[in-house]
Amino acid sequence: MKQLSRGAFALPGTSLDFKTGTWRNEMPVHTHWGAPCHVACPAGEDAQAYIAKMMEGHPKQAWEILVQANPLPATTARVCPHFCEQACNRKHMDQPIAIHLIERYLGDEAIKNNWAYPVDVSKEDGEPVCVVGAGPAGLSAAYHLRRLGHPVTLIDSLPEAGGLLRTAIPVTRLPRNVLDAEVGRLLKLGIDFKPRTSLGRDVSLEQLMGEHAYLFLAPGAAKSRHWSVDGAVPSDLREGLGLLKEWLVVGDIPKPKSVAIHGGGNTAVDLARVMKRAGVADVHVITASGLPGPDADPKDVLNVVPREFEQAVEEGIVFHAHRTIQRLLMRGSKLVGLEMVHLKKLPGAGGRSSRVAFEGTETVLHVEMVVPAIGEVVEPQGFENLLGHADYFKADPIGQIAGSDRVLVGGDARGDRGTVTAAIGDGRLAALAIHAKLTGGELPDPKRRPFIDYDKLNVNYFEPAARAVEPMLALEQRNDSDEIEGGLNFAQVTHEIGRCFSCGNCLACDNCWTLCPDNAVIKTVERAADGSHYVFDYEYCKGCGLCAHECPCGYIGMVSD
Amino acid sequence: MDSTKLKQEIQERRAQMQSAPKEGVAGQHNMEELRKLQPRYRGLEAGHRACQGCGEALAARLVTEAAGPDVILTNATGCLEVFTTPWPQSAWRLPWIHSLFENSAAVASGVEAALKAQGRSTKVIAQGGDGGTFDIGFQALSGMLERQHNILYVCYDNEAYMNTGIQRSGSTPHAAMTTTSPPGKERMGKRHMKKDLLSIIAAHHIPYAASASVAYPADIRRKVRRAVSIEGPTFLLIHSPCPLGWGIESDISIEVARLAVQTGLFPIIELERGELTGVMPIRNPRPVTDYLKLQNRFKHLFTDDPRARKEREHVQALADHNIEIYQLRGEGVDALDTDGADTVRRGGVVD
Repeated sequence: MKQLSRGAFALPGTSLDFKTGTWRNEMPVHTHWGAPCHVACPAGEDAQAYIAKMMEGHPKQAWEILVQANPLPATTARVCPHFCEQACNRKHMDQPIAIHLIERYLGDEAIKNNWAYPVDVSKEDGEPVCVVGAGPAGLSAAYHLRRLGHPVTLIDSLPEAGGLLRTAIPVTRLPRNVLDAEVGRLLKLGIDFKPRTSLGRDVSLEQLMGEHAYLFLAPGAAKSRHWSVDGAVPSDLREGLGLLKEWLVVGDIPKPKSVAIHGGGNTAVDLARVMKRAGVADVHVITASGLPGPDADPKDVLNVVPREFEQAVEEGIVFHAHRTIQRLLMRGSKLVGLEMVHLKKLPGAGGRSSRVAFEGTETVLHVEMVVPAIGEVVEPQGFENLLGHADYFKADPIGQIAGSDRVLVGGDARGDRGTVTAAIGDGRLAALAIHAKLTGGELPDPKRRPFIDYDKLNVNYFEPAARAVEPMLALEQRNDSDEIEGGLNFAQVTHEIGRCFSCGNCLACDNCWTLCPDNAVIKTVERAADGSHYVFDYEYCKGCGLCAHECPCGYIGMVSD
Repeated sequence: MDSTKLKQEIQERRAQMQSAPKEGVAGQHNMEELRKLQPRYRGLEAGHRACQGCGEALAARLVTEAAGPDVILTNATGCLEVFTTPWPQSAWRLPWIHSLFENSAAVASGVEAALKAQGRSTKVIAQGGDGGTFDIGFQALSGMLERQHNILYVCYDNEAYMNTGIQRSGSTPHAAMTTTSPPGKERMGKRHMKKDLLSIIAAHHIPYAASASVAYPADIRRKVRRAVSIEGPTFLLIHSPCPLGWGIESDISIEVARLAVQTGLFPIIELERGELTGVMPIRNPRPVTDYLKLQNRFKHLFTDDPRARKEREHVQALADHNIEIYQLRGEGVDALDTDGADTVRRGGVVD
């Protein structure tokens, strides 16, 4: 301390000699919590992070963050049910951020401007890995393995990569130029892609095992589940996925006067819409699930993207929820109608739920055709030894299966997935797991991190703002070839990213810096080591907790000192 | 949200934080250098002895940031004087003078006259707490305004004599408990009303007078810049919670200040030549109990005593009266209303 004589003046700022930090019994720390959108994403996309980059004005860097997890953002933006938006904390204030439209904007910008993946293509110092199946899971695994420097062989029985993105999703939801651009860009990463190569026909599992250090199997579920009503099957029965594939490839679809589609997934709804547009007057969807709605139990509703359901209703599809088909009404071998009955999934003995039909609720529906779309199982050809008699592969969360430690499995072939995004996540986790096994590193942890709740944010610092609305084709303009939903323009995207709460991460809003009575929050010129823009000067911080309480994002917490 | 629930939540949150991974605790930065590089003027530096969560320290920091560095400060006796200048140190990075409790405005008048005689344009800012402004220094303040000195007078209003141990002042609100207005058989806290100082200031017809709150720092900065740019006497009343005197946790002093504004109990207004020329509209007025419940100085209003209910209604009526006479009720959304004025964005507030 500078000693002054009595009666002299004090030098300004000399109080810095007195370290008030010794008063403290709690200290503020920066804690990066998972944002709900990030934690909810099966593919592992950190929406909060790329939105933050967008806010900083770097769309390309934002896209690079995005593709660190998901190599096909323009695709998933169009086909995913958007778990991120369902989890978004903003829903408690007004409406969730339109994350999928921001993702779509970035994905489309990348295609438009030919942005390259942040991957070093020349790096091939790893071990060879073979990926079976070029659907979303396989493409994702191949991409992440290339990112990590492993030479990748990708085989698929079809002539083009894309899997069900190409064979089962209508172009009105996913235009093929978008899919081609993303898949094409991915395959150019030095992946040895072998189309028209069938496992069991052209190559055997043993052969692949001999040539590669690891295998990742993502064959999908391409074989329709057996369907009958008490053993009765119309002689001309066609199943849903097959019809959809035929329509996508050949452009042909049966046009009866009326049809009932049995099933509650995307295939059922997509097919219903395709048939309606083709001119089928009455299209019914019969499903054992409930319909989405404010009071609906999320476990009980249709497994479709909510807005796809809304559009289907708009287009005149009739949904029969909580029903099943009890009897087929046949005249000779020709179907003339069917008998529906109400049913519900109820908990039964031993904790297993079973479907119970209620007597006295039978109704007859006059239709000329019935199409089952009740799900698909793995086509076992080539995998007989690994699959046994099971419909699906049984794998742990990162894709490891019993029976072989050099084979991992992901995507729909697991039986417990169901979205493109989950398949992409499987591919990423499997790639990380294979890399870890090859390099002796730690296996990826698939457990969901804790995320920050709405009540941990200080929402006084945010204002309600309406969600941006994407353009959509009017009912009468919808056809078989044009995409129904549009994207946002730059101004709308800017508005939308401005709505982000930045849950659990620093927003760089200056609040802590502005509100510290003790000048103990210091703004950094460069980004601080913890990724924020501020550091605490613990020499002077008295531990009052104001910064933590007033942090809009819950990024600052108090811990005992 | 009631105070027990809020406290409980804060506790829970702290427990969670303790189990969360820590980042950036190690000092990879040269703090001394970084402090010098701060992109704002530092008028009041760290190391001062204010209590944890002090609203007045924050307000003084914000005022000097916006006004400095070409400023001379005078100070009335009070917390601000005591905690910033323990001999032989000073937390001020500005010329600063303290003489007595009652004469901050008078000393400032003299400083201003001397500067004027020297032909210098340095701005003088006189500071005082509510005791030194509403009560003890009031006649000096009135004289300063009447003589039209070119001075900004800032009153940090924490609504009691906190420095000497929480005695009631002219600014203490109705029904608040202090050591000299204890609730008991005769009274439910302070019997009298908070002195309407701004109306008295308005009667001096000075060019600019305003109220502000530490909950709205951008508003404070804007008002300080406005006031120092005016040639003549100006006055700023800043609501500054005192965690110790009000009986609140140190981390919620901003929260409490914000509620004082949102309930209507502390109206944020601007006066020019004595006329009301601007208010911060309240977007969604909150019930006064939201504000009162958080503070121990009002805890007697939440007992079974039948007078407690009456006093709560009385305080609500005072808030409603403020909203009515200052027309605080906003019409729809306004970027500068009680909800919009503190909205944050990446890169900080642009003001």
